[in-house]
Amino acid sequence: MKALGRAVAWVPHIVLTALMLVAMVDMLAGVFLRYIVTWLSATFDLPSVRFFWVEEIGEYALAWLTFIGAAIGIRRGTHFAVAIVIDRFPPPVRRAVFAGQYVLLATFGALVAVFGWNVSELNSQSFSPALDLNLRWLYLASVVGGILIVVYSLASLNDVRRGKVPGPAEGH
Amino acid sequence: MLVAIVIVTFLVLTALSLPIVFALGLAGFAGLLAGGFSLQKLPSSLVAGSQSWVLLAIPTFVFAGSLMERCGMSYALVNLARALIGWVRGGLGLSVVLAEYFFSGISGSTIADVSAIGAMLTPPMLRAGYSREHAASLVASATAMGILVPPAIFMIVLGQVTDTSVVAIFLAGFIPAAVTAACLMVVVFVQAHRLQWPKDERPTAAEFNVAVRASLVPMVVPVLIVAGFFFGAFTATEAGALVAAYAVAAALLYYKNVRPREMLVLVHDSALLTAAVVFLLAVASVYQFLMGMLGVPALLGEVLRPLQTTPSLFLLAVSVIVIAFGMVLEGLPAAVVLVPVVFPVAKQIGIHPIHFNIVLTAAVGIGLFLPPIGVGLLMALRFADISVGRHFRVYWPYLVSLFVGLIILILFPEITLFLPRRAGMVR
Repeated sequence: MKALGRAVAWVPHIVLTALMLVAMVDMLAGVFLRYIVTWLSATFDLPSVRFFWVEEIGEYALAWLTFIGAAIGIRRGTHFAVAIVIDRFPPPVRRAVFAGQYVLLATFGALVAVFGWNVSELNSQSFSPALDLNLRWLYLASVVGGILIVVYSLASLNDVRRGKVPGPAEGH
Repeated sequence: MLVAIVIVTFLVLTALSLPIVFALGLAGFAGLLAGGFSLQKLPSSLVAGSQSWVLLAIPTFVFAGSLMERCGMSYALVNLARALIGWVRGGLGLSVVLAEYFFSGISGSTIADVSAIGAMLTPPMLRAGYSREHAASLVASATAMGILVPPAIFMIVLGQVTDTSVVAIFLAGFIPAAVTAACLMVVVFVQAHRLQWPKDERPTAAEFNVAVRASLVPMVVPVLIVAGFFFGAFTATEAGALVAAYAVAAALLYYKNVRPREMLVLVHDSALLTAAVVFLLAVASVYQFLMGMLGVPALLGEVLRPLQTTPSLFLLAVSVIVIAFGMVLEGLPAAVVLVPVVFPVAKQIGIHPIHFNIVLTAAVGIGLFLPPIGVGLLMALRFADISVGRHFRVYWPYLVSLFVGLIILILFPEITLFLPRRAGMVR
């Protein structure tokens, strides 16, 4: 059971890495198509290749990557926070503040997920211009991101309960 | 009323050290609720704000920069800088500035610059007899300048927020960075003579050749960016993809010291950093909606009207605000909230968009390294292991020279606009 939990915990990280690889390969494909293939088809009078899909894949990958990465960032401390005030608080108060924070973060995630679901439903009648993809798949990123934010916040809340208090984040 | 609710929510949450992006998000929800708007606006702005082709340049430059650092390209650049000017009085200090100029040309993240330059150059400076305070000041002020050398995440973000060509902003950065570097070098030079800082031994022709040859592989990147952008060959996003591919090729075929598994970890970490930046921008896009609804830009335009007759005073005022906010909030959050409000006013009174963006970039660089709590400064101090108070007594001349650089950039827009104009990108 524990091993299964650990394996599941890897999934967002693997998806995040995969999305980033997709985005980079897609961008390179874009450069290749725009400069080399266009030149080849112009030089040898071949039928031109359409590559509007390049931008769509890249943009959608970035949207999904952003939501998943932002959620993981809660655990990893990648989001910048101002710690000057809280550093002066005594440890028990600090713990209480952090606990309150994770409750707020979970609330935020839940709101994003619920209203994100509404938005995805609204957009399920529209299709993307190049790939003809149902736009629900784009907006579902906010639902998955919201749920992950809830999950990671609750996991961090559990850590605080056990006495672990996070350190400050680095910047960008 | 609505504005008060949003601002108070944001300030309270931020003071309690909630990550700024979520403080903004929750305050945004509060604002939508108080204004009677649909809460669906938030998730839909988040998605709309994060699906951007321009912002895709961020992950590639971040990944390429960290991979090239891992390969050891930063060492080659530091050695090149030392071979070039290390042998004059205070040469090591001057090479910090020059090495940061080179290194920033392959790295997009200022915080990554501080760790790379700080870790590589602090120990040799201490060994050569520089005091800890001066070593930390050199690293901090040089990196504050380095934000102006493209690629820079911050410029990509500004390009997106102000709807200005990222290529033009990148190209515009080189000369202002050199001007600021020159201001810094004057200070270093004076200090070097005052404090009798040592010289490196003058390199022999053979040593010089080795240093130059080792730096050829990393130097391809800035050359590619300058030439590619100057001739308008590709967009910033395409340049990012090319640079990333180049970094992978150099790592696999030339350096051969990074395992594929490590490379995947770098991909993962670059994605995390990208997500943090893009998510922040996406959250901030809700505010553009809210503030527009409330007429904040018009209001601010009224407030700033007295400054409108002197654009340079206006830019200075905006810079001071950005520096102060940037010190507390870190540059990006400060910029994504402020810029959409201030930029239309700047355009209206005839400030060139590129000039505006470069001045703002320079201001954010200073804010990151402003005592007592600039994030970059705190990191630089960690390498030298000294306190802010002790450091400041030595740091202020460096800080003054950064401000002098900023004022020069504000007063002479031509410095900024020369390259993009020559490239025919702007009038």
